[in-house]
Amino acid sequence: MRNKILTVDDSKTVRIIVKKAFKSYDCEILEAGNGVEGLALAAKAMPDLILLDVTMPVMDGVEMLTKLKADPQLKGIPVMMLTAEGGRDHVLKIAKIGVRDYIVKPFEEDVLIEKAGRIIDLKPLTDGPAKARSLSDPATILVVEDKPAIIQQIQEGLKHTPWKVIGAATQGEAIDFCTKTPPDLAIVSLSLPEESAFALFRLMRTNVKTKYTPVFGLVVKTETNTVQQAQTVGFTTVITKPIDVSDLESRIAKAMNLDTSTRYFGVEDGCFVVKMPEHCTPAVLAEIATYLKPKLNEAVDAGHNKAVINVLALKSLHMGVIKQLVTAMQLCKDTGVNFTLVGNSTLMTECKGFEETRSWAFHETLEEAKASFTKGAAQPALAPA
Amino acid sequence: MPAATQEISEALIRENITRAVCDVFKTMLRRPAALSHAQVTGGSEGNPLAPHGDEMALTPQVVGTVGFLGELNGLIYLYFEGAFARHCTCHMLGMSDAEVDEAGDEVINDAIGEITNMTVGSFKNGLSDQGYPCRLTIPSILRGRNFSIEPISDSSRYIYTFESDGQRLVADILLKCGE
Repeated sequence: MRNKILTVDDSKTVRIIVKKAFKSYDCEILEAGNGVEGLALAAKAMPDLILLDVTMPVMDGVEMLTKLKADPQLKGIPVMMLTAEGGRDHVLKIAKIGVRDYIVKPFEEDVLIEKAGRIIDLKPLTDGPAKARSLSDPATILVVEDKPAIIQQIQEGLKHTPWKVIGAATQGEAIDFCTKTPPDLAIVSLSLPEESAFALFRLMRTNVKTKYTPVFGLVVKTETNTVQQAQTVGFTTVITKPIDVSDLESRIAKAMNLDTSTRYFGVEDGCFVVKMPEHCTPAVLAEIATYLKPKLNEAVDAGHNKAVINVLALKSLHMGVIKQLVTAMQLCKDTGVNFTLVGNSTLMTECKGFEETRSWAFHETLEEAKASFTKGAAQPALAPA
Repeated sequence: MPAATQEISEALIRENITRAVCDVFKTMLRRPAALSHAQVTGGSEGNPLAPHGDEMALTPQVVGTVGFLGELNGLIYLYFEGAFARHCTCHMLGMSDAEVDEAGDEVINDAIGEITNMTVGSFKNGLSDQGYPCRLTIPSILRGRNFSIEPISDSSRYIYTFESDGQRLVADILLKCGE
């Protein structure tokens, strides 16, 4: 549920600054110009947090706070003072009435957000309502590892992606980086000295800017206790060394909730192309199944009525692949899309071994398949008997 | 019992107002400020704009004022030239010149009132922690040009000029002498 924050301050300037500070977070800002308005709005809206000034006309902040804490319905609302009144005696007097935190003006917007984030669950707003980030979008990945060779291996392995991999050797360096530029994902070596990986994880989870950042643990496979500990405290996933970079890439894409459909679907020369990769693991097939129907509908909507199902890269045929191909062909038929297949000779041979695939005919190249939709073009070859 | 202003040294006042102005400018306006001129007078003969000649006196001014009451009683006026006041407002609120124009002078008054509130708050919090507890009053704004404010006779006056990226800010501190 969306958080409601009530700012009670006679200065419109402060109320504008508060609104500006919280604009990237999913919360509603309510405003009141004095204690009387503040109490009325608190009772009506039951905010999740009140930011309260002291010196105000009509009713000051101390009186409002006293009345709020005396009201059984309102006394549970957390209050954070945001005021220029900061003398020691004054702060102590107000603290005794009951406040969760105290910020003395002038104040940094970041400090306000950080302190508010300790009281309420501040969720960053996503950019735009619907458009998912895709594999072609840039992202920053922080690798916290004291062995430079590992950082280099990850940088090398992901260099074909638009992701920027930044290395940090210590917890301190990582915190500095996160403070300046919160990364899109962090990979933290669980073998950093003095369990600092876990301390870093806890710090990231308490900082409002990195609270929801996926954090991967990185450890040698045999360190089963450490793996369990990381899973228990809430690391997004644990990557084991030696690192399988293609697996790491898939996990990063999944953790960042990226649209990976471009790996399997595209439009080329007016044809909708479905591309099966070399190894169709269950995870890959599930991914293809998720995107197939919406992507085909999208292509039809855009005016495309030809499809090529490209299995040239596929190493071997198994029931999972066959089911997926049958589904793809059926969906093409259902939506009135003409389709053809393109495959390699090994696959054509394997096709004769299954009842469902015996009659399938394949083109040998993608170009031939695309050209086949024009009248008089070469017909696909049947799977050899 | 209010403190006699004689007990408070000029150095303490200068140190607190300098820290307060620099903190507010750095935190809220992201710009440096540095003390460039100090003047101590016994009373009404001081004029905050006089050291800067007719040019500043005749330029439209937006002046924020906040008082403090308690062990120490007094008032601080912060003088901003009109264009500087607008610039500070734009920066603090993240608004363009056009947006500030559309919002009118009220928004500039409010922003200068808040800068004054923060500066005087910071000044008096420093003094409070050094044994002179007091509380703030609500800010108010004066606008005009070629004017002077005259304190009552039994007061001390401290005038400090700050420079910030070529702009000038004058802090006029009036302390009521203790009984």
